[in-house]
Amino acid sequence: MLAVGRPFFPLFLHVFGAMVLTGAVLVALIVSYVAWRRSDLTLLGRAAFWALVVVGVPAYVAMRVGAQWIYSQEGFSGDNDPTWLGIGFAAADIGLLVLLVTIGVAYWWRRSGKPLAGHIVAGLSTVYLLLLAVAWLAMAGKWG
Amino acid sequence: MFHVTAAFLLVAGSVAAGVFNTLAIRAERPSETAYLLRLVRVSLPFIFVGIAGTLIFGLWLWHEQDFGFGALWIWLSLVFWVVASALGGMGGKHQEHAREVAERLASSGDASNDELRAILRDPRGNAMSWLAGAATIAILVLMIWKPG
Repeated sequence: MLAVGRPFFPLFLHVFGAMVLTGAVLVALIVSYVAWRRSDLTLLGRAAFWALVVVGVPAYVAMRVGAQWIYSQEGFSGDNDPTWLGIGFAAADIGLLVLLVTIGVAYWWRRSGKPLAGHIVAGLSTVYLLLLAVAWLAMAGKWG
Repeated sequence: MFHVTAAFLLVAGSVAAGVFNTLAIRAERPSETAYLLRLVRVSLPFIFVGIAGTLIFGLWLWHEQDFGFGALWIWLSLVFWVVASALGGMGGKHQEHAREVAERLASSGDASNDELRAILRDPRGNAMSWLAGAATIAILVLMIWKPG
C-alpha cells in the first residue's frame, strides 16, 4: 500500500529502483563481510564490484530520475517541502557519493585482492544500507 | 511503513540471490560456482522475512484502511504472492541441486563438466527463479497502481 492518487510510472520507477539498489548494496555487504573470514577468495571482490556497477548504478539512476519526476509532477517548489522529502533527497545525494566511493574501493579490491579494501567496502556498504533504510522509512512513514 | 520495509527486504534479498546465481552460472571453476550458490543462502533470511512481512502487514493494512473485501488488486496481489513463493521455492531447489554437483566436482579436481554446465544453463530451472521475480514485480505494480 504505497500511495493512492499519485502518478504510477514515476513512483514505480523510484520505488523499484530503490529496492534493486538496496539489493546491489546487500550483495556488496554480504561478500565483503564473508571476505573477512575468506580473504583468499578473489571472486568476492569481483562480485562486489560487478553488483554495484551493473545492478547498483542503473538502479540508482532509475530511483533518482523517478524521484525528480514525481517531485516536478506533484508541484513541490522547495519552499516548506515536507521533512520526509528532504530526508529522501539528502539520502540520494549523499548516497551517490557513498556509492561512487564504494565502487572505486571495490575496483581496488578486485584488482589488488587486498583485505583492507574488502574491509572498507564492508564499512561503506553498511553505511549506505543504513542510509537507504532511513530514507525508505522516512518516505514510507511520511515523517514530518 | 512495516509493509514497505518487508517489501524492500523481499526485493533486495531476491536481487542479491539473483546476482549470486548469475555469477555462479558465469564462474569458471566448480568451487567458485559452489561458493556463490552457498551465498544465495545468506540472502534467504531477507527473502523469508520479506515474504512473511508483506503478507502479515499487507493483510493488516487491508483491514485498517478499509479497502473492501472486493478489492481486485489485493486478490490479484495475493495470487502473485503465492505464485512468487511457489516458483521461488522450485528455483531454489534447482540451485541446491547445482550446488551439490558443483561441490562434488570441486572436491575431485575442480574441473567443470557437461553435467554441471547443463544444470546451470537449464532453461526450466532458471525460468522458475526469473518468473518468481516477475511475479514479485507484478505485485509491486499492483500495489502502486491499485486498479479496480
